[in-house]
Amino acid sequence: MNKKDWKILLVDDEHEFITTLAERLELRGITPRVAFDGESALAAVAQEEPQVIVLDVLMPGIKGLEVLERVKRSNPRVQVLLLTGHGSTRDGIEGMRLGAFDYMMKPLNIDTLIEKMESAIDYAGKAANLG
Amino acid sequence: MRDALFMGRLTAGATHEMQNILATIRESGGLMEDLLAVGGEGFAHAERFKKGLCVLAEQVERGMALSEQLNYCAHAPEATPAGAEVNEAMRSLVGLYRRDAARKRVNLVLAAGRTGLRTSLRALELMGLAGLALDCALALLPQGSQLMLSVEEQGGLAVLRLDSPGYEALRGQEPFAELERRARALGAGVSAGPGGQGVVLSLPKPQA
Repeated sequence: MNKKDWKILLVDDEHEFITTLAERLELRGITPRVAFDGESALAAVAQEEPQVIVLDVLMPGIKGLEVLERVKRSNPRVQVLLLTGHGSTRDGIEGMRLGAFDYMMKPLNIDTLIEKMESAIDYAGKAANLG
Repeated sequence: MRDALFMGRLTAGATHEMQNILATIRESGGLMEDLLAVGGEGFAHAERFKKGLCVLAEQVERGMALSEQLNYCAHAPEATPAGAEVNEAMRSLVGLYRRDAARKRVNLVLAAGRTGLRTSLRALELMGLAGLALDCALALLPQGSQLMLSVEEQGGLAVLRLDSPGYEALRGQEPFAELERRARALGAGVSAGPGGQGVVLSLPKPQA
């Protein structure tokens, strides 16, 4: 699948961080949607199912792990990459138990992020074929 | 301990914010690098600009390491059922002590030691005890020395070994007596290092 067809949703309450990350992805041919909190993320998923959500764990309001649980219940095909910090590695591990595809520490390496997105999309494709 | 837990909670929140700030700086620097790569031809100062971005990235890494060590300290007063992981605590302690050591022209090194060794002490108690042993050594060592801290296992116990020539001169003096008192209060043992050089702290085992 061509990168321009990837359906990616980025979720983080750090506006500058996530919009800059979106711009960098756009320069690499990926056009993500952006949400700034858990509520908007769930609304964005309901509106159009993404293939991958890049989701910050620590957000005000609905926390990342709750968003993950709700998305996995309503849209099990969606793959979730969690963004954690050094104080929230445990959340990343807990997220894996709840069905996250993987977790990454901030700050990100953009090439690694894109590789993980690609792996998540491949995995979802294979899982759909098996199902 | 209540005060330490309170300060830890504040510090943990602040280090999380610092991490977000550094991550945003890193992304913004990355975006400038990207834009330079796609449309930087003819930009007279491209090389200086790139060098500036490299410095920015290096400083972000430096800030991240510090913020990680500080975050560890913020959680250090918390009791964990499995006990503190000794190598992890020493990595943060040595990272934060290096500046102090450098001011005294001493090169502080953490030897690549055993990971997974635990003690019943809280990380804060462990760091406080090791910090006291480091303070003794730093006060003694001549400029240009190297001070090596290692985490080892001896007889089923996690031990901290501080290789510091001249440490034996401290025995019988107040800084060493203070170290012995603190160790005793925490259930840790203090003995001389191999050949009478340096000091070995034997840490209490975590409860099974």
